[in-house]
Amino acid sequence: MTNEKSNPKEGPPKQSASEIFLEEISKPPPKQRSRWRGIGQAIAIPALAVFTGLLLGAVFIVLTSESFYAAWSISPIAGLKEAWDIVVTAYSALFVGAIGSPKEIISAIINLDPEALREALYPLTESLVAATPYIFGGLSVALGFRVGLFNIGAEGQIFMGAIFAAFVGYSITGLPALIHIPLTFLAGALGGAFWGFIPGWLKAKTGAHEVINTIMLNYIAFRLSDYLLTGPMQRPDSFNPVSPTIMDSAKLTRFFDDPIRLHLGFIIALGMAWLVWWFLFKTEWGFYLRSVGANLHAARYAGMNVPLAIILGMTLAGALAGMAGGNEVLGVNYNLAMAFSSGYGFDSIAIALMGKSHPLGVVLAALLFGALRNGATSMMLATGIPIDIISIVQAFVLVFVAAPAIIRTIYRLKPPPEGEEGIMVSSWGGD
Amino acid sequence: MTKKLFSLLAILIVAAMVLGACAPAATPTAAPVEPTAVPTEAPPEPTEVPTEVPPEPTEPPATEPPATEPPAVFKACQVTDTGGIDDKSFNATAWKGVEEAMAEFGIEGKYLESQQQTDYEKNLKAFVDEGCNIIITVGFLLGDATAAASTTYPDMMFSIVDYAYDPVLPNVLGQVFTTDEAAFLAGYAAAGMTKTGKVATFGGIQIPTVTVFMDGFALGVQYYNQQKGTAVEVLGWDPATQTGSFTGNFESKEDGRTLGLSFIDEGADIIMPVAGPVGEGTAAAVKERGNAWVIGVDADWYETVPDYKDIVLTSVLKNMNITTKGAIQAAMEGTFAGGVIVGTLENGGVGLAPFHDADSLVPAELKAELETIAAEIIAGNIPTSP
Amino acid sequence: MAPVLELKGITKRFPGVLANDHIDLTLEEGQIHALLGENGAGKTTLMNILYGLYQPDEGEIWVQGKQIKVHSPSDAIASGIGMVHQHFMLIPVFTVTENVMLGDEDVRAGGILDRKTVAAKIRQISEQYNLQVDPDAYVEDLPVGVQQRVEIIKLLYREADILILDEPSAVLTPQEVEELIKIMRSLVEKGKSIIFITHKLKEVLEIADQITVIRRGKVVGATTPQEADQNQLAEMMVGRQVDLEVDKEPGRPGQRVLEVKDLMVLDDRHQLAVDGVSFEVMEGEVLGIAGVQGNGQTELVEAITGLRLSTSGKIVITDEDLTNSTPRQITEQGVAHVPEDRQKDGLVLPFPVADNLILNTYYQAPFSKGVVLQADKILENANQLIKDFDIRTPGAMTKAGALSGGNQQKVIVAREFSRPIKLLVASQPTRGLDVGSIEYIHRRIIEKRDQGTAILLVSTELDEIMGLSDRIAVMYRGKIVDVMPAQAVTKEQVGLLMAGITQPAA
Repeated sequence: MTNEKSNPKEGPPKQSASEIFLEEISKPPPKQRSRWRGIGQAIAIPALAVFTGLLLGAVFIVLTSESFYAAWSISPIAGLKEAWDIVVTAYSALFVGAIGSPKEIISAIINLDPEALREALYPLTESLVAATPYIFGGLSVALGFRVGLFNIGAEGQIFMGAIFAAFVGYSITGLPALIHIPLTFLAGALGGAFWGFIPGWLKAKTGAHEVINTIMLNYIAFRLSDYLLTGPMQRPDSFNPVSPTIMDSAKLTRFFDDPIRLHLGFIIALGMAWLVWWFLFKTEWGFYLRSVGANLHAARYAGMNVPLAIILGMTLAGALAGMAGGNEVLGVNYNLAMAFSSGYGFDSIAIALMGKSHPLGVVLAALLFGALRNGATSMMLATGIPIDIISIVQAFVLVFVAAPAIIRTIYRLKPPPEGEEGIMVSSWGGD
Repeated sequence: MTKKLFSLLAILIVAAMVLGACAPAATPTAAPVEPTAVPTEAPPEPTEVPTEVPPEPTEPPATEPPATEPPAVFKACQVTDTGGIDDKSFNATAWKGVEEAMAEFGIEGKYLESQQQTDYEKNLKAFVDEGCNIIITVGFLLGDATAAASTTYPDMMFSIVDYAYDPVLPNVLGQVFTTDEAAFLAGYAAAGMTKTGKVATFGGIQIPTVTVFMDGFALGVQYYNQQKGTAVEVLGWDPATQTGSFTGNFESKEDGRTLGLSFIDEGADIIMPVAGPVGEGTAAAVKERGNAWVIGVDADWYETVPDYKDIVLTSVLKNMNITTKGAIQAAMEGTFAGGVIVGTLENGGVGLAPFHDADSLVPAELKAELETIAAEIIAGNIPTSP
Repeated sequence: MAPVLELKGITKRFPGVLANDHIDLTLEEGQIHALLGENGAGKTTLMNILYGLYQPDEGEIWVQGKQIKVHSPSDAIASGIGMVHQHFMLIPVFTVTENVMLGDEDVRAGGILDRKTVAAKIRQISEQYNLQVDPDAYVEDLPVGVQQRVEIIKLLYREADILILDEPSAVLTPQEVEELIKIMRSLVEKGKSIIFITHKLKEVLEIADQITVIRRGKVVGATTPQEADQNQLAEMMVGRQVDLEVDKEPGRPGQRVLEVKDLMVLDDRHQLAVDGVSFEVMEGEVLGIAGVQGNGQTELVEAITGLRLSTSGKIVITDEDLTNSTPRQITEQGVAHVPEDRQKDGLVLPFPVADNLILNTYYQAPFSKGVVLQADKILENANQLIKDFDIRTPGAMTKAGALSGGNQQKVIVAREFSRPIKLLVASQPTRGLDVGSIEYIHRRIIEKRDQGTAILLVSTELDEIMGLSDRIAVMYRGKIVDVMPAQAVTKEQVGLLMAGITQPAA
């Protein structure tokens, strides 16, 4: 019975831990879990992930702050006090920059001063402007996940969407806005769809993995835009890689006077989120695509055309990403310039993950990240903390959302009732 | 109880910090007291870059003295393009100008990094709201946004680096550079220094601010050939057809290394990469082979990329810091006007960096010729662009 | 002498469920103790407590007369308890030796793995217990039965005295089961003690010394093979009278529904898996295809249901040539398919039961109108089928993955049986199911036959083939070696054919 050998790594059964659990709970039917509890569970992890991400971001802010070290060298208490002050200053600037100052908003409302109100609401509307491309991009990646595809190519699709939208936006003249706006916006979607179709088609026909192909297509899109902007699409009177300004008739309508930039794109984004939800969960096509995404073997068994679903999934994902690109050109920038997007597509992956690939979740995550990104400017202005800190926070949030076990351990949450995480992850690899 | 103690402590600490913080702040406030010395204090820098500089440094000192109750300190604010503040290129160099202005004039400097094109407009507005006195924008990417902001905020002063408007905007000062003049000298020097008879240059992306370097460089080599009857060859750029080698990006050091190696393999022994950080890869390739030189661009690479200082022959300087500081100074002195300042060889806006460690290797004759040529260029006797 | 292992009053509660309710179990040295119960009865929970994966809420564990606390599998192993899980924990690209060493590496100076010593010890263990495992073989090259023995060697290598085998026969062919039984015997002869978790009654009666039956987390009986027979054990397990024999009238074959002619199909490795197979299935009869796993049955079924292309030959269903048609075309011709691997092919586990019930009809009325799914119709359908087919689920919106194996199979059966079908292709329809579910599924299949459906039953369970079929075809190495009326053959004859032994007078 003596056994010198200690700790052989006989880990818990690979997938059977949840299986066992399922087996055990399934026979005597447990009480139907309340819907609200489920939603609470779904929100708890992302919310705590954001909280923890901000907390760790605060640690970074403090550790990179010279005044903290200066205070710490006086005494640890002084250091802690200083750390607290730094974080409070930074995060209140972040908050005010993202949402606006409640005091100003209230006073503007009381005084019925439209100009002051515009000023007071400006931060909030800027957050919405920043969130808009994230909504489109997040929906793109989320739709991909639902079909079992990992669309890393959103960035390239955004570029293609922007190129198409910009071209239609400046080259076609004399159209009324009522026609020109939808036309250019659809052109953006088409550009992205085209760029999504290619890897979808390659995967369906040859089995080439979409992760590799979308990454490659990203580069092609970047270089293509460089080429176009120094050649065919270059502004005639300029030597710089900038496209002509789009026609006024193609500009997405802005709802308020300057400086508020909130535009029609935001409403379209919300509309698309609803449409994606409806499509995925309420139509037979959505059922078909989701089945392929969740279990392509079973989908094939049930008579579904799996290759078509892959092509369709990538194309639709591309279209959504293309809208993100079009939205930026038509709603905010009014032209296409070199390197116009640095990372919307990649941030979108984080947003889709955080939103659990659900359109509503994506919208919430996009609003959050839009607010963080927007607020970061004020934070930088007030405290000199680089905007990159938001990227760090975002990276932490992503880690925690992707590995909820960490959050659960930190906050001693109960494991999920039905092994839902596993399902999420299984739809990743795409095969 | 403990809470009270803590607050007390906190107040003490904060007080200590405020006092401590005052100490360094005192130096800049002292500096403007003798502002007359400022322009002369920096002899190598021709601070009279602004189109007209009637030296009227009476205003700033008048407002500065009651500095104990901090008055509206002059604020110079820079919006970077998506390259960020530490791009080792124009954002960084322009910021250096702001920093120099901060040190010299005791003003406040701020910057905002743009992450997306959409941030430009927002950041410009943020600085207007912040009460900045002059806003420096950097690069053609901010061209449209700066123009738009100048109309929205007609009372604000703007200066944009590496960009100019035609027609000029009343409250925007464009900073452009005749980089070809300095690159011409570099080309001439390269032609005089090459042992293989081949020199090379390449760009990041084919845009005017890049090719202007390559034009000057190639013409400099041509001029040397004309003068000396030599046949030094330029790889990577043909000014006549405007075609040549480009990495297609300003990021990949690996691309710079590969291209550098292939130029060396083709026999080039002096390479001028005009591609921002990509050039560091080329420097690495040169160091790897050990039988070639690089010529830096924008800043003096001997100082900014010290890892490779032993293989830096010289650098083509584009002193955006000097023009930026000049713009700030003009704004402070009330002489600011919209238009264009051109950084030239003549006013020191562009130039050739010292040879530093390579100095002893450069023949005195060549150095003398370079000086003569510089004078000729300034005089307008030698064309430096095709 | 104290028993090797004693569990006293083990209780484990999960939210809303009492998984183990004061369970007592005593394992004597050198005995095989069978733990018998339906899926979900609490067997696995109990064993996971013993193995340190769960902590009991109440109760004590005694080993060799001493109370122990098991907080982790390593504690269990330190106490000489080892477990072979249903799903093996082996790394396919490693050798047997490397797998055995994993987590318990013998290292020579300089951090070099001492494979030689380990391999020698494996060889010695292998001989001692007659396991016949080559230490240098790569696991991926080994048959499932041998992989299982590698798992056993892992435990013996770590000097475990108490072996827990969780449903060890579920993944094995009949021959491999025979061998496993021999190995278990040899293990207990050499002084090891075994807890044998299963729901297969025959194996229990054949090999166990003691039997403990649990149901709904409680011990409902302790007996021995001498005292009990299959029916009694089944009754204890299920809690009611169970009919192990399928009650059926002789089939009344009618028109031909399925005709397979000279069919050739390749497997995934492009080897000929179905080699010129021809047969027919009539209305109202069950044609059982017997055969050891891996003799081309899977590929045959896939070809018939459109999941795999055939290279030559013909498949005709009700006079319609459906060779190499798509699964949807075939489904729409009235073919139902109960797939071999229900979790991989038959269900979308993350989807609710209701969605799984319309997996191949979702696009048809009444479930879809235009392109919009009709949630109320889908739910209505689900509730009806849940009632009709007695699917035990908390609700129609419960995820299929949360159901027990038997109920998952019921979902598939409900889906496939509830639409008008002419041909049912049922592949391993009761694999891994408990007695109650097996009985139920068998009854449903015969019911369908009696309604005039043609049924192609593929099973590696000889009892199932014998019990349900009207005619039996035996498949061996891609060919059908014989087709015969079920009444005319004995189990032994079919068994011999399955092993490839053809006798002149069958």
